[in-house]
Amino acid sequence: MLKMLKGTADNIAAAMLAAMFISFLIQIVSRYLFSISLGWTVELCLTLWLWLVFWVSAFCAGEKDHIRFDMLYLSVGKKARRVFGIVAAVGVIVGFLYSLVPTLDYIWFYKIKKSPVMRIPLHYVFSIYGVFILAIASRYILRLWQLIRDQEADQEPKDSL
Amino acid sequence: MSFEFTLCLMVIFILAAFGAPVALAMIVGAVTYLGLSGQDIALAGEQIIQGVYNSFILLAVPLFIVAANIMNAGSISDRLLTFCVALVGHLKGGLGHVNVLSSLIFSGMSGSAVADAAGVGKVIIGMMTKDGRYQPGYAAALTAASATIGPIIPPSIPMVIFALVSDASIGFLFIAGLVPGLFMGLVLMLVNRYQSGRLNVAVEPRTPLGDLPIITWRALPTLMMPVILLYGIYGGVTTPTEAAAVAATYALLLAAVVYRSISLKELISVFRESARSSASVGLVISAALIFNYIVATEGLPNQIAELLAGWNLTPLEFLIIVNLIYLVLGCILDATTVILVVVPLLIPACRELGVDIVHFGVITMVNLMIGLITPPYGILLFVINGTTGIPIAQIIRQVLPFLIILIVALLIMTAFPDLVLYVPRLFGYQG
Repeated sequence: MLKMLKGTADNIAAAMLAAMFISFLIQIVSRYLFSISLGWTVELCLTLWLWLVFWVSAFCAGEKDHIRFDMLYLSVGKKARRVFGIVAAVGVIVGFLYSLVPTLDYIWFYKIKKSPVMRIPLHYVFSIYGVFILAIASRYILRLWQLIRDQEADQEPKDSL
Repeated sequence: MSFEFTLCLMVIFILAAFGAPVALAMIVGAVTYLGLSGQDIALAGEQIIQGVYNSFILLAVPLFIVAANIMNAGSISDRLLTFCVALVGHLKGGLGHVNVLSSLIFSGMSGSAVADAAGVGKVIIGMMTKDGRYQPGYAAALTAASATIGPIIPPSIPMVIFALVSDASIGFLFIAGLVPGLFMGLVLMLVNRYQSGRLNVAVEPRTPLGDLPIITWRALPTLMMPVILLYGIYGGVTTPTEAAAVAATYALLLAAVVYRSISLKELISVFRESARSSASVGLVISAALIFNYIVATEGLPNQIAELLAGWNLTPLEFLIIVNLIYLVLGCILDATTVILVVVPLLIPACRELGVDIVHFGVITMVNLMIGLITPPYGILLFVINGTTGIPIAQIIRQVLPFLIILIVALLIMTAFPDLVLYVPRLFGYQG
């Protein structure tokens, strides 16, 4: 079940990226072949990019997909790792939950504004960041629970450049 | 530095060192700072959302990642290698030269060192180690070293990020990387020639001259890619961001239509993989936006500029100090993080001391890419270890001569700005 949901989330992310790619192409073709400057393509791309970053970070990215600085973490023993993990998880949970209400407030405030070309209310556009905050907080609460019950798998570093 | 800011840094360092992703650590640090200094907590979200939603140039990042992943999934890398073998395989240290040459061409199509090492690099390591021609450690080390050229020759993902934080022109940054990239390739080939002579490795049979036209013809569509990209950007047809979309389209056309080497299923998995890696870069960039906002509020960049101005440094002295700092940071930090966090601190100092921003950008890139192969945290070493299974320790032992020669090349580029700035000036750069 969880695996299927994750697969769906991955496919949605892939679709968003593909849509960005296509709307970019439409923009280039229309500008250089037909000299028509389209506004909506740029706006759509930026909206999708915002959604892609936080959608993937909220639902798709596993621990190993993130860029991290974990030399110390990887160099210590299993017990210390567990303690480190608990401290890090508590930090993330507290920080994210602390910012939740003001952030949702900020996003909600944008219901009075619409995006310049496609006229989408901006609180819809920005809402993905609220979803991200909630998802990360929940994910780390789960992680904290697992760590306390001592079921932690090892993590490995990864980078994208 | 205020008390709040000190605490913010401590939170970031502790969380990151304890294994939290860098981006999340920066967001929590920023929230801590805002809370303690009595500012609106929502500022963090605001900076992040608006930063991502309004920076058009960042769109190049996911598109270049898609392009590189398509090229690696299709047989584009293989054809490129066949062409390079025909060209330089018969020379002393032949496959080593093939390795560097293919990296040089590939870097004209992709903007990522990891894509280079994981794609074309993996194939060439297989060729180099077949029948015991080269030691696996040597093949891996040379591949890692030549992959560092990827983001120096345009296009370049790190340069897009540099442009974002420094306001330098992407167009000039890109073109300024051309000579340094070729120069790095040249010095690597020299070391490879010397090492191969010493180890007396076998050379490839010379490809019959008559076969050359057909091999070139087969590789031609691939070889045209850098030409199309450069013409697109500098002929005024596309912006650098749009060039990224053109690169991805061209790669897709080649792989799906011309070479028929990618299936729909593979394509979907390319997009899934690309979505993940672009989002992880995007998340760090967005978290750095709020961090940089705080750093700017604290006035840190200007303080550093004043401090350095007080020392009466010449531009060269400044760049040497910066190089040393980067080399140390590059050993332990990831390149994206350094560009996002350290570069903004140094930009005002550059202006104050009269250091050319494009020169500074290229030096930063070369240095940080060298950082990708310096142990202990050298991401290219990990990637090659991950894709080929060659032990890290073996790679590290063999990477040293390449590391040294690249640092020498870096110093030469630092001392002679004209080497970097000559080509951009031809394109109208005033600096």
